Amino acid sequence: MKIKILLTAASAAVALGVAGQALSKSIQLPPDGMQLKASSLPGYAKAQAHCVACHSAEYMAYQPPTAPRPYWEAMVKRMKMVFKAPLDDADIPVIVDYLAKTYGNEQPK
Amino acid sequence: MTDKANQLRRRLLAGGAGALATGSLGTLGRSAFAQTATTDLPIVNGRRNLVAFPEKRPLIVLTSRPPQLETPFEVFNDGLFTPNDAFFVRYHNAGIPTSIDGDKHVIKIGGNAAGKPFELTMAQLKTQFKPVEVIAVNQCSGNSRGLFNPRVTGGQLTNGAMGNARWVGVPLKDVLARAELKNSARQVTFDGLDVGVFGGGDFVKSLDVNHAMDGEVMLAYQMNGADIPMLNGYPVKLVVPGYYGTYWVKHLSDIQVIDQVYEGFWMKPAYRIPDNDCACIEPGTAPAATRPIGRFTVRSFITSVLDGARLQAGRPTVVRGIAFDGGQGIREVAYSTDGGQTWRDATLGQEIGRYSFREFTFGFTPDRGNHDLRVRAWNRSGQSQPMQALWQPAGYMRNVVESVKVVAA
Repeated sequence: MKIKILLTAASAAVALGVAGQALSKSIQLPPDGMQLKASSLPGYAKAQAHCVACHSAEYMAYQPPTAPRPYWEAMVKRMKMVFKAPLDDADIPVIVDYLAKTYGNEQPK
Repeated sequence: MTDKANQLRRRLLAGGAGALATGSLGTLGRSAFAQTATTDLPIVNGRRNLVAFPEKRPLIVLTSRPPQLETPFEVFNDGLFTPNDAFFVRYHNAGIPTSIDGDKHVIKIGGNAAGKPFELTMAQLKTQFKPVEVIAVNQCSGNSRGLFNPRVTGGQLTNGAMGNARWVGVPLKDVLARAELKNSARQVTFDGLDVGVFGGGDFVKSLDVNHAMDGEVMLAYQMNGADIPMLNGYPVKLVVPGYYGTYWVKHLSDIQVIDQVYEGFWMKPAYRIPDNDCACIEPGTAPAATRPIGRFTVRSFITSVLDGARLQAGRPTVVRGIAFDGGQGIREVAYSTDGGQTWRDATLGQEIGRYSFREFTFGFTPDRGNHDLRVRAWNRSGQSQPMQALWQPAGYMRNVVESVKVVAA
């Protein structure tokens, strides 16, 4: 593995006691390493508003490009049902359409 | 939950976690990405960033937020213990703690089958109980998921979501004894400080009470002789030797002894495997029944030579690797240099613990040409690794005999 340029985008502050054990820890997390892929599909803006409010774009971008529409639909519905994402039902098919066509098996060849 | 939600709200208002501030990160994110080192994993769509998160060296970024980091495989050749700054990271929700007072942190012990609920500070945990030590591998359920064929969805990891560490802590059994369990106790649930951004999907796991009381499950506060890194669960995490990492709850803050089987999202339907002997099904089909994931399958890896390496023909080489299982201990490792047609015994290194990585070595003097190196381990129960990969829809428990192709010239 080749490391071309090293960018340390994070730091940790650790208060040390006399025994060398930390009494408290504070960390600062780096910014997201990736943004959603821009698209003219209406679901793009909705995904920016809803999906990345909770998680970064690698969750979508690194799925196998074979991931079919039912997968994206199941995930978006899970975000609403399980994780309580404040999504209008009407927005779900729009976001699913963007995801399937941008990251799934409906991507342009 | 209310305490945790308030904590999260304070962090978000302070801008600490940045979970709701993505709109303003656009420019910063882009410039960071432009300079970030990358690596190409051997899977379709496998280009990844390498970023140094707090207390970590540059690791393979599966996701930035919440952090999910894979250990570069070369690290496993550096020794039997995986350094804390190289140890993999896996979170489920982005509401993660970024500042914790290590002595004031409190673990609540209660539930409807605990006769005497109580609270324990870290200072009390460290001084009022006799500490124990275990060397144990932690491995993500979905380690190697990206190598499944046909591919499955989920976190696309290669083989670096595992690590071996020396854990120091207190047996869970000793802590639970103070809670005076009722006869109705059936399971014990574990919750940590991490929360979902909108309050749903809190990461809670459960173990059967007999397992929780086996004396091996531990509340660990030290990892490889140091405090546990924040991203691995500071100041205390559950260590469940031999079991997949999903049970190793980080920032442990709440333990409940209950009179029923817990069926929250992360126990059902998540982290389930086909309920049959091989925990496998035909690709593309659905399992008839499922059960919660449990112990590790047997695995072995060559670490001193990576796939695609070039060796010098005629030059004797010692090939090194690691093997582990769910706690029986490794009995035997065989190796093949001809793609699995003929096998010989590798030499096992000293056993430093039955939950640990165990080293093996074998000598190899390659003739000019291509070679397909394979290793296969057996544990003391005779369990081993399949020659052809098994498949299951969630992509857990991969343990096929891996192939390392090298060329000698």
